[in-house]
Formats: sequence, C-alpha cells, structure tokens
Amino acid sequence: MFLPVTVAKLVRGVFCNRHSHLTLSLSRVYLTRCVVPSVRKRFVSTTLSLWHGDYEWQEPKSEADVVRVVYVDRDGKRTEVRGKVGDNVLYLAHRHGVEMEGACEASLACTTCHCYVADDYLSKLPESEEKEDDLLDLAPFLKENSRLGCQIILTKCLDGIELVLPAATRNFYVDGHKPKPH
Amino acid sequence: MKNIRQFQIQTMRWRSTATAHTPHVSTGSPEDLEVNNEFITAKHYSEVPGPMPWPIIGNTWRMLPVIGPYQISDLANVSYILYKQYGKIAKLGNLVGRPDLLFVYDADEIEKVYRQEGDTPFRPSMPCLVKYKSQVRGQFFGRLPGVVGVHGEPWREFRTKVQKPVLQPQTVKKYIQPIEEVSDYFIKRMQEMKNENSEMPADFDNEIHKWALECIGRVALDARLGCLRPDLPKNSEPQKIINAAKYALRNVALLELKYPFWRYLPSTLWKKYVSNMDYFIEICMKYIDDAMLRLKNKPQSVNESELSLVERILANESDPKTAYILALDLILVGIDTISMAVCSMLYQIATRPEEQEKIHQEILKILPNKNDKLDASKLEKMVYLKAFIKEVLRMYSTVIGNGRTLQKDMVICGYKIPKGIQLVFPTIVTGNMEEYVTDCKQFKPERWLKQSSGYIHPYASLPYGHGPRMCLGRRFADLEMQVFLAKLIRSHKLEYLHKPLDYKVTFMYAPDGELKFKMTERPTP
Repeated sequence: MFLPVTVAKLVRGVFCNRHSHLTLSLSRVYLTRCVVPSVRKRFVSTTLSLWHGDYEWQEPKSEADVVRVVYVDRDGKRTEVRGKVGDNVLYLAHRHGVEMEGACEASLACTTCHCYVADDYLSKLPESEEKEDDLLDLAPFLKENSRLGCQIILTKCLDGIELVLPAATRNFYVDGHKPKPH
Repeated sequence: MKNIRQFQIQTMRWRSTATAHTPHVSTGSPEDLEVNNEFITAKHYSEVPGPMPWPIIGNTWRMLPVIGPYQISDLANVSYILYKQYGKIAKLGNLVGRPDLLFVYDADEIEKVYRQEGDTPFRPSMPCLVKYKSQVRGQFFGRLPGVVGVHGEPWREFRTKVQKPVLQPQTVKKYIQPIEEVSDYFIKRMQEMKNENSEMPADFDNEIHKWALECIGRVALDARLGCLRPDLPKNSEPQKIINAAKYALRNVALLELKYPFWRYLPSTLWKKYVSNMDYFIEICMKYIDDAMLRLKNKPQSVNESELSLVERILANESDPKTAYILALDLILVGIDTISMAVCSMLYQIATRPEEQEKIHQEILKILPNKNDKLDASKLEKMVYLKAFIKEVLRMYSTVIGNGRTLQKDMVICGYKIPKGIQLVFPTIVTGNMEEYVTDCKQFKPERWLKQSSGYIHPYASLPYGHGPRMCLGRRFADLEMQVFLAKLIRSHKLEYLHKPLDYKVTFMYAPDGELKFKMTERPTP
C-alpha cells in the first residue's frame, strides 16, 4: 500500500520541474478536445478545462495518471481521494464532498479555497502569481504555506499532496450552515 | 503570499480583531455564546450616531444643491466629515426614496462583513439603471439582466457565465497587445494635440475618456470604434458614441443624489439617460452581431484559447444576448472609472518628478529600446509602476467607497444592524487612517513592495472591493492603466506647471480642473 508513495517520492526528485506542470496541462486540453463528443453544434469542449470543473469528474485514464490527494478538513478529518494529472484541486474537492468552497469559481476574486500545502509539496508547486499573492494577503489565518486551492493543478510529482483547510475560510457561519460548492 | 512580514502582521491582527471571536460552526462552543452575547449586549440600531433627520423631508435636503450643506462634489468630504464627527460608524438616515446609508470606517468590521456575505452579495447600485433594465427595457433584458444593478440568483447565474473569461489572467493577457496598440495610437495623438508650450489642451480629460472608450470597445465589442481619430464629424458613429458615453455614468450621480425625482416624474435628464442607454444597446448589438459572423467563419477546430473574450462567450452561449448585455455593462462602468483613474494617475505622476523618474528607470530596464513591445512577463516585472498605481488608489481612491446591503442582521461596531441597511465602506477614508496604514499621510509606493516594512490593514484600501462580487472589470482596468502609463512614461516626460488642482467627486474622485500636462519626448536611446 505504501510502496507506490515511496516510489513516487523517489521518482519525483528526478522528473519534477516547474515546467512539467505546464506541458502536462496543455496536453490535457488537447486530450479533452479529442475525447469529448461534440455537444454543441460548433464547439467541442475546447475550453481550457482547467477552469471548468467538468474534467475533474472524469476517471483517470490509467494508473500512471493517478495523483493521490489528502484533504484535511477543519475538524481534522482526512479524506483521501484519487485525482489525476491536470485536476484542479478545488473542483476535485467538490467532487468528493470536501468543504473547500470556491465562491468566485476560480476567477481569482476571493479566498474561500484557501488551504495549507503540507511539507515539501509547497516547493513543487509553481510559484504563486502576483494576483494570487494579493488575494492571499486578504485570507484569514495566513501562513507561509498558504495557497489558493483553485490555482493548484495536479501533476504527477504532487502525488500524495496533503491540503489542510484552515479553521475557517470565509464564512464563519454562525448558524452552522455548511458551504456548498458552486 | 507576500512574505513572512505579512504573515506576522496577519497573525497579530487575527489575535486582536473582530473575526477572532467569530466561530465557524455552532457547536455550543464558548465562541457561540460570545456571538449570542454580542447580539444581546449590542446597542439598538436607532442609537447609531449620525446627522439628525428633519421631519418629513429627512436627510435628502442635505444633498440638494445650494441649500443643502453637502454638495455632491463634496461627497468624499461628506464621508470624511461624518467620520470626524461621529466616529467609526455613522448613519445617514431618512433619505427620500432610499434606505439608510450606514458608513463604516472600521477595517476589521468591514472585513467581517466581506467574510460573511455568502455567495450572492448584494451590492446596492444605481437605482436608475435598475429601473431602466427592469422596467423601461424589461423585455430586452429578460430574466438575466447582467451584473450591474442585479442581485441574488439572476446576478450569480449571469456572473457565472461571464466571470471566467473576464477575470482569469490567461484571457486578459491576450489583450496586452491590442491595448498597447490603442495606447500607442493615443500617445501619437497626444503629440499632435500639444500646443506651442508643449501642453495638452484644457479638455484633455475628454481625450482620456475617448482612449478608455476605445479600449473597452476593443475588449467588449471586439472592434476598434475609431473614437480617437481627430476631427470626427458631428454625426459620425464614433462621435455619437463619445457623446453617449459622456453622460452614461455621470448622469447617474445627478439622477441618484441630486434630482431623485425621476422616480416619480420622467424629467428631461431621465429621458436623456434613457435615450443614451438605448443607443448603447443598439451599438452593442451591432458589433456583437459582427463578431458572431466572424466566429461562424472560423474553422470548426479552433481552440477556445485562441478566441477573443467576446467569441468565447458567444461560443458557449446559445443566446447572443449574454454578450450584448455583458458588453453594455462593461462599457457603462468601464469608461468613467478607468479614465478618471488615469487622469488622477497622470496628475500624480506629473506632480511627483522623483516618482516619475523611478518609474521611468524601471520601464527603461524592461523596455530598453524605444519600439520594444510589451508582453505578460514584461508587465509582471513592472513592480514599481504597479505599486505606484496602488498608492494613488489608496490616497485618492477613484471610487470613493464600496457598499453592501446587509442580507441578515449583524452586529457592527457594537450596534445591532437590521438586514436591508445599506453599508458604505469609504475606502478613501479607511485607506488614509493611521491605525490601518503606517505613515498614511506619506505618498509611498514602496509600501506595496514585498520587502517593505510598515503595516497596511489588508481591508483598509480595497478600491475594487473583494469576494465573489469584486469588480468584474478589475483585470482589464489594471491592464489598461499599466499599459498606457508604461508606454507614456517610457517615451515622454510629463509635467504640470499650473496651479495645483483639488480633488473632487463628480461621480469619481479625480483632480478637478484643466489637465494641461506638459509633455516632452525623452531622448531616444
């Protein structure tokens, strides 16, 4: 059970670089275009599907695509899910019922998908852009390993990544209301 | 994130402020009790301080010209005076035909409201636009009348359709080159406009309006409208668009605050407003239909990332109405705002030569040759220019404040505020309060740089608002300002050699007077 993690950890050191993230996500766009049947008359789902949320509902094509993610919610409950290369961790959380909110739908306007990236995985993520930084400044309980979930796209080297949700994101719901995905 | 500094500040802040005692789930924790206690011990809404309303006519008279103590142009001062007189929370009540306005000057409380606003924040805005959209042209706008002046589910549904292309950096990046083209052409026009003293004409702000109009046309209508050309005939389309744009937003302030009688009687100003809006719809439909035709002629296999903003929306929506309405909303709020902000930026640059020099040096490094073109990575490097823009917006926030209508009862500054009250967050005041910004009286762009020391409360200066209802045009506004300023300061020196100007609110907060900048071409390396 733990063997793949160890192997992945070993392999990661070799194959990981910043740009692998880019090439992978691009090839993914291409893939979706070929696979998804034409729904509309003209346009196949050609969207940069990173930002859609539909892609995250597809099963991984092969074991090689699988990226495991652990979400730790504010009560400390761990949810282990099998994501895949190219998944946006915000939409992946929605699929698996993890309470990562994402009120602005990954358009970089809010901080409701704020999470902490555990351990050494932080350095494996592409550095945050200025716009994400600006928003993080507004996030409650900011830490050095804070990131916005909607900006994390899975790559193979992120296998085993642990994302911890802050004690509260945006709404300190007084009435016990739970945030729902959008 | 910025750096550890910011982190330390944040943790400090969290220990001491309002949010520290707001619980996330009701588990009967001590925090819950505290919140309940907060409601029990809070003072009644009627105790919120504020100017005394007169019977019957309430506080509207205060906004009337001449007899009222507050001129509309003093709106920025009004909010400052209210703060000076009444403290961190002040109520302007009994306004004819509108709910009470509650001014909140406490950044922690503002933060609390932003955090609890849910996914359909209610932003009170422009009742006259609401009336136009819902009644005058209700048939056209239908169930989803856009984002400006729309609330609740219809707002969310429409925003969801459009916000990704409009806000996501990867679409916005594609407009660097088109905006640069418009700006280059405008700078060329500025050279032609110079008088014998190398100064801009007295009505230079009108020219900036045209530039903003041309930019937003390029984004929202996928077309060059041709508004920047000199000597436009009176009846030409660009000239008509310019005229309509001039009053689209400016009249709103007059209609809303000074002469709110249109609610009951169609005044001349109101009729003019309606005919202007009709003309805009006509223009939007014309250009969007053109874009639709172009899209139909594109090869089937085209990748969405190659499409323009308008095309992306047309491709994903069966009804072109979404694109018509988005274009209308972008134009309505994307001209005065951006152009007044640019007026303010230029005035600040021209009157602060050392700052100008720093910006120039930075740009010179990034664009060493005169004809170098901009791109995303070059813009990314212009950190000082961006910090300068942020600093101008902090000290002279073009939009003087943001607002929210409370959707549930809340305790703010120790008062129970019932739902339905309109909150005003005067960013122009909070951004200039010593307790939220270190050395707030100093103009210091450096404070926005990563390595800076000194404290800025993250909610003190939010010129674009925050959260799901953050300004939809924000990225384009930032892009247009950055591109234009970078190109202008790269090639020219700007000076202002006349009597200093005062800032005033017409609708936006900007220098009031003739912007006769002196423009000198820099020697070409």
